[in-house]
Amino acid sequence: MPRQAANPFDALADAHRRAILELLQGGERSVREIADEMPITRPAVSRHLRLLKEAGLVTSSAEGTRRLYRLHDEGLDAVRDYLNEVWGDAAGRFRLLADNSEPS
Amino acid sequence: MTDPLRITFDVACPPERAFELWTKQTSRWWPTSHTVSARPDVGVVIEPGVGGRIYERTPEGEEHDWGRVTGWNPPSRISYLWHLRQDRADATEVEITFAEGERAGTRISIEHRGWDALGARGADQRELNQRGWTRLLPHFQAVAG
Repeated sequence: MPRQAANPFDALADAHRRAILELLQGGERSVREIADEMPITRPAVSRHLRLLKEAGLVTSSAEGTRRLYRLHDEGLDAVRDYLNEVWGDAAGRFRLLADNSEPS
Repeated sequence: MTDPLRITFDVACPPERAFELWTKQTSRWWPTSHTVSARPDVGVVIEPGVGGRIYERTPEGEEHDWGRVTGWNPPSRISYLWHLRQDRADATEVEITFAEGERAGTRISIEHRGWDALGARGADQRELNQRGWTRLLPHFQAVAG
């Protein structure tokens, strides 16, 4: 799996971070807009966003004085690729086993 | 005046069960994303009776106060002050009634009021809370049927 500064699976393991990703499904949001919809403080949201960004799951852009965050599609590709890799290997191993079990 | 939020929905289980699920088994359905600590094993407590505390608590003992029960009439009605993330002075009030519905189910009516007391922020807070309820209630519906 390509190396990110933070592991996306670690990023996804937190309920608040998952909630942030769900909010971003609706489009880009500022830190304040995200914090308004969550039971945690703005600094806490900023910390979560920094980790999500390091994990490649969100990106940000500046709009005037605001910083807006949105989902990073390529980041989710990395997650999918990892799962395909693991399950892909498993499917390959099963085929190998099945082939070797055939009566000759 | 900013109108109260009003939400009504039906669940399949009878009122006694719905009330119990809401107030005694809150941890079973309350999503951890709607807590301050967001730990997978966080407990949510609604202490029975008027004056009962409403709070979250982790097994390590970290607690966050959310509100206080103002009305307790099992199985038909609970009301409480709600100040999660706000100053206690900015608490709004929630009233939930559990009435007999069709086919032995329950009609649940939620009224969330007190927005005017928040002054200029009232309308925005009402909007945010409306969105919060929309995200919360499917979790209750999933256990209440």
